[in-house]
Amino acid sequence: MKAGTSKKRAPPPQQPPAANPPKYHAISQEDEFLDEDVFLDETLVSEDQDALILRDLEERQALATRLSKWLRPPLSDSFVSQSRSVVFQQLEIDYVIGESHRELLPNSSGAAAIIRIFGVTMEGHSVCCHVHGFEPYFYASCPPGMGPDDISHFHKILEDRMREVNRNSKVPKFLRRIEMVQKRSIMYYQQQDSHPFLKVVVALPTMVASCRGILERGIQIDGLGMKGFMTYESNVLFALRFMIDCNIVGGNWIEISAGKYKKTTKNLSYCQLEFDCIYSDLISHTPDGEFSKMAPFRILSFDIECAGRKGHFPEPNHDPVIQVANLVTLQGENQPFIRNVMTLKSCSPIVGVDVISFDSERDVLLAWRDFIREVDPDIIIGYNICKFDMPYLIERAQTLGIAEFPILGRIRNSRVRVKDTTFSSRQYGTRESKEVTIEGRVQFDLLQVMQRNYKLSSYSLNSVSAHFLSEQKEDVHHSIISDLQNGNAETRRRLAVYCLKDAYLPQRLLDKLMFIYNYVEMARVTGVPISFLLSRGQSIKVLSQLLRKAKQKNLVIPYTKQAGSEQGTYEGATVLEARAGFYEKPIATLDFASLYPSIMMAYNLCYCTLVTPEDLRKLNLPPEYLNRTPSGETFVKPDLQKGILPEILEELLAARKRAKADLKEAKDPLVRAVLDGRQLALKISANSVYGFTGATVGQLPCLEISSSVTSYGRQMIEHTKKLVEDKFTTLGGYEHSAEVIYGDTDSVMVQFGVPTVEAAMNLGREAAEYISGTFIKPIKLEFEKVYFPYLLISKKRYAGLYWTNPDKFDKMDTKGIETVRRDNCLLVKNLVNECLHKILIDRDIPGAVQYVKNTISDLLKNRMDLSLLVITKGLTKTGDDYEVKAAHVELAERMRKRDAATAPNVGDRVPYVIVKAARGAKAYERSEDPIYVLENNIPIDPQYYLENQISKPLLRIFEPILKNASKELLHGSHTMSVTISTPSTGGIVKFAKKQLTCIGCKALLSNTDRTLCSHCRGREAELYCKTVTNVAELEMLFGRLWTQCQECQGSLHQDVLCTSRDCPIFYRRKKAQKDMAEAKLQLDRWNF
Amino acid sequence: MGAMEIDSQKSFERKQCTYNLLDETFEIQNETYKGQQYSQIYFARLHMMRTLLYSLVPNWKPHLPVCTVLGLEKGKECIIVGTLYKHMKLKPSILDEYSKERSVSPLVKPHNFMNSDDHLVLEDESGRVKLGGCVLSPSIYVTGIVVALHGKETDAGDFSVLDILEADLPPQIEKSLTSREDKYVVLLSGLNVGSSTSNPLLFQLLVDHITGHLGDEKEQGVAAKIVHVVIAGNSIEIPRGLLNGQNLASKDQSRLSEPIKELDILLTQIAAGLPLDIMPGPNDPANFALPQQPLNRCLFPGSSVYNTFRSCTNPHCFELDNIRFLGTSGQNIDDLEKYSEAKDKLDFMERTLKWRHMAPTTPNTLGCYPFTDRDPFLIESCPHVYFVGNQDQYDSRLLSGSEGQEVRLIRIPKFSETGIAVVFA
Repeated sequence: MKAGTSKKRAPPPQQPPAANPPKYHAISQEDEFLDEDVFLDETLVSEDQDALILRDLEERQALATRLSKWLRPPLSDSFVSQSRSVVFQQLEIDYVIGESHRELLPNSSGAAAIIRIFGVTMEGHSVCCHVHGFEPYFYASCPPGMGPDDISHFHKILEDRMREVNRNSKVPKFLRRIEMVQKRSIMYYQQQDSHPFLKVVVALPTMVASCRGILERGIQIDGLGMKGFMTYESNVLFALRFMIDCNIVGGNWIEISAGKYKKTTKNLSYCQLEFDCIYSDLISHTPDGEFSKMAPFRILSFDIECAGRKGHFPEPNHDPVIQVANLVTLQGENQPFIRNVMTLKSCSPIVGVDVISFDSERDVLLAWRDFIREVDPDIIIGYNICKFDMPYLIERAQTLGIAEFPILGRIRNSRVRVKDTTFSSRQYGTRESKEVTIEGRVQFDLLQVMQRNYKLSSYSLNSVSAHFLSEQKEDVHHSIISDLQNGNAETRRRLAVYCLKDAYLPQRLLDKLMFIYNYVEMARVTGVPISFLLSRGQSIKVLSQLLRKAKQKNLVIPYTKQAGSEQGTYEGATVLEARAGFYEKPIATLDFASLYPSIMMAYNLCYCTLVTPEDLRKLNLPPEYLNRTPSGETFVKPDLQKGILPEILEELLAARKRAKADLKEAKDPLVRAVLDGRQLALKISANSVYGFTGATVGQLPCLEISSSVTSYGRQMIEHTKKLVEDKFTTLGGYEHSAEVIYGDTDSVMVQFGVPTVEAAMNLGREAAEYISGTFIKPIKLEFEKVYFPYLLISKKRYAGLYWTNPDKFDKMDTKGIETVRRDNCLLVKNLVNECLHKILIDRDIPGAVQYVKNTISDLLKNRMDLSLLVITKGLTKTGDDYEVKAAHVELAERMRKRDAATAPNVGDRVPYVIVKAARGAKAYERSEDPIYVLENNIPIDPQYYLENQISKPLLRIFEPILKNASKELLHGSHTMSVTISTPSTGGIVKFAKKQLTCIGCKALLSNTDRTLCSHCRGREAELYCKTVTNVAELEMLFGRLWTQCQECQGSLHQDVLCTSRDCPIFYRRKKAQKDMAEAKLQLDRWNF
Repeated sequence: MGAMEIDSQKSFERKQCTYNLLDETFEIQNETYKGQQYSQIYFARLHMMRTLLYSLVPNWKPHLPVCTVLGLEKGKECIIVGTLYKHMKLKPSILDEYSKERSVSPLVKPHNFMNSDDHLVLEDESGRVKLGGCVLSPSIYVTGIVVALHGKETDAGDFSVLDILEADLPPQIEKSLTSREDKYVVLLSGLNVGSSTSNPLLFQLLVDHITGHLGDEKEQGVAAKIVHVVIAGNSIEIPRGLLNGQNLASKDQSRLSEPIKELDILLTQIAAGLPLDIMPGPNDPANFALPQQPLNRCLFPGSSVYNTFRSCTNPHCFELDNIRFLGTSGQNIDDLEKYSEAKDKLDFMERTLKWRHMAPTTPNTLGCYPFTDRDPFLIESCPHVYFVGNQDQYDSRLLSGSEGQEVRLIRIPKFSETGIAVVFA
């Protein structure tokens, strides 16, 4: 199993003559939508370097034979002879600049953009398809008075201006042609069907931006003077433009018939099938029926380990990569078919895993590169690979001078580049990240996906897997990693097992949460490439749909300059005043189903139905064709002009209905997965349309639409409230008068006053039906659930039992109650949960109060388990960078002074507890390492926990229930008794003399006695019982805790290494160990 | 007091026998908790058992190669030796108790944690492999047993087991069958002095019986043949609710010490007459983890004065006239009952002997001290009498081994509930 180690490398390969460092191309920086898919020549490795790499390859023959097992299935004869059509599912579309194809395009010459489509066939063959002939273009407004005859003149002027701006460019011709077309702008209602527009076709995609700039600034045209031009669709990425025009949506199937494609003369990629074709020969299949399936993608999940130096987080220019674990799974299968780990230095074998060991780090890296090339994964996943693993590998290879390492993409000799990007989106916030583009392979970083899709208290792989897979992950601190690496083959094996686990978890998360299905479906629904879903925000998805629809309708979408973010705000959703309280009668909840999309459809709100005030005066439209929104805008009714946003929404919702119906029918779990992913994608897409119109930094903001939507929303909530309170009254013949106690964005909570859930449900249904009848279709009020009992704290904060059928409640539903906030200690979470449980499920308010009192009393008497008090915060910057002093940062500094090796570093999570300190000390000075606290018996500060941690959430819950909640809970008699432990270091203890005390009465012992004072002698038996019971309890705890860790680790014969501070066991385990040793000492005193 | 002072016409001479205490392995002398973990005890166990099993393999299936888990090749038949690990869905996990939010359904505490999904895994230092095949029934085995398996790796990566080799009964020292008169040993357990179920009168009667204060001459003659008394655990029941770390009121102090005094008085009566071994049990004021250390002498100010009184460890091993006794207070068998199943509880006992391990579930589900260099629960020499205390009923069986070993298996019932003491010839 150690093929790699015994093999000595022949003379060290020559350093390639100073390879050109990968250059990052810079295009005009004025557009945030840079076309970064261009690959320039600099990144390609020159031919002689290529030869070097080949020689290198031969030396690794042994490895190569091993890798060859994992190759993709060989091509069948019909593929080889090109006698059959190629059908494949595309995953990635980009483009390169190259010579235009002489055979396919005999009429053109010079540099052109060549689209590359990467994908996989049903048989599992990788495909790289070069598409020729598609040209970048955009539209510009045609100034009045400009006719078809002026075009050639205009063409010449523009061409000259382009040459002026791009002086260095060697391109012979910038503009391919300019055509006059009949189109209409999407903005505002217009009575004419179309206007003339100029379609400007340029040579290369990058020229779109510069040409747009020239036109916007205006050019001098003879006879017309200086003219500025409005441009349309000039910010559409080239690849997206291609997809829209060819009706290709992300992740769909594409067919090229036999004879329509030509095998490339010289293979540029590592794909099995590589060919050229003309864009018009592509057949794009809509993802239905047979074409809704997924091709057997190869998904690589990997993780690397680095040997960091003590006290430092690993840095690529110092610390070596020591292990890389890889798992490859075929899409649709539940087990990986390749598992291997590449290690630096020998490593003992692992069951079911190929352990490949190397003597030098260089070999590890190169072996990994070869592995990628041979296995040829379509999707690369991992946890935090985009920010850590990938850039680390590449930067490390740079440090080691391995120029041939970063050829990880599907294009021969093309190096992978790292660049820093900032991604900023209203929904996701600003995130800095490194972008590594690997041509032809989709990177799917589970960390990013998690951050996008879920609100979690912590995004560590450990807590994510605990949350979704309900498993604790073993966590090996990076300071131990180096020790393990420097040990022997066994300790390295231990590390490898850990590394493999880390590589497997992302795959399991991917499977469990159906990310592949959901994301491919999202790409199909919205029509953007899959990679956009992770690298870009919401707006591109809506824009893509809008562009597609506009193309059908012969509309063009204007390019608007990025406006400042504070361009204007509008009134948001309304929230009815919450009548806080504890409701012990059923509360029915009436929900508007997809409220905002419904409003847009009902009132025909769209860019193209909006009538500007100016037009309103001019056009003299009959009022029966107009809708005036509550916010004062005017839109035409669908009879006059149907909006395209409503149309998109209708299609999305209809498609969702279809998908849901199909889902009911479907049996095959894989088909079900696809359909479920689709209906989810459709729902999300429908809801994001509203946001698109309101995004002031977005592509096409239109606040008239979004403010109209929210104003209608407000009106509807008010309307519902009024109707409910008018109709359901004792006067109207009902038993009780209904009362609306709270209303949120799209739901209204009603107390009908009836005592049973069933009666509330019936009334809820009746009300929903009645009120729905008063709205314009498709706005619909639905009755969904009953809360009983219901604890309403304030707006957006409530808890209740959730009933959908009258016999049994479904769950306990809470909103806005911080049970999972990460800067709360576990005590708060447990306390809040337990209280809610007691109040809502057991209906035992005195019990809940008693529980709180007991807990507080335990806290004050120092009987609280320390692990419940640990607060954890991520250390994101070093101390100096924080402006405000924070507890965890101060602690990290102090710990560094104590022992630099184990102190937390930037990127670590710092756990701490608040301890007693001198009066007046700041909270941040009182933070302390829990382990240090355990070891030294430092007293914690119960007051801090009482006041800063548990009081607020508790009062929130109890205030609606109890009078004087604060007095009752926080200042009762149970808070009188306080116990504080004596510290064993620091302060006055330094001056204390240690002397044995009687176990019974703590009196000092004379030298003759060892255990008890003469006074307590008679109570021997009783006191012994006490001591020994204590030991027995601890022993039990010790045994259970440590065996649990063994279980988690999955091995009986190895020591537990895990130091996961997120795990509730960690501190208890430590504490049990220490308490045990102490209790044992006490017990030993009895053995006289 | 004592047999000699019995006020009757005929006095009986109490029989004597040689006693040899073999508890050293169960004693924890200067060992402390210094951060050692449980891996070492498994390692020691695997090491000892493997040496043993390897020596048996040539007689078992000489033609087959012996592999490690790692050296398995698909489809190749071989023998692997390793520690079993049983994956159990229902096994209670302390992690769940801590981290799971309170579920709506109440927690049911099943008596037995078996589930049809349970499966076994074999582990050695090199790795783990999932076991398949129908030969090996997961319901019999538990975590911690070391066995040799014959089988092959399937395509799915499982190890399909074709045959199993257990260590079987250990060799037995020759029982010196020199003809001699009957001698009796009394085995007792579950006195539970101080609990609601214990009847002081019953116990007093027993004590009187043992000491020869009761019955006619014949019975006294029998009593005189009792040479040894063993109390296998759970002698005292103390109100544990009182021991929560707080100082006790004097009323509670006496509630606590009263049963202990009571026991001491009764034990003093026995110890005055004949040798007495007392073992700690799960409810006694002793430590929790196996091996439980002897009950402290300070609990028995009266009886501990006699040199016939011996406070022992649990498990307890001793020889009487070269007959070897081995027994526990019951935790090992009770734990097996929770995690495996058998028709007859004696089967559990038989299995532990065949596995050569008294308590295989330590430390996994049964607490034990984290030994670093040895596993004290391995049975190296076959006892003649193997007993467990605190069982629900009396049961006994003679087990014969392939090499002529004969073991008497005894389940001692709880005295406080059944009023039965076992008298063994």
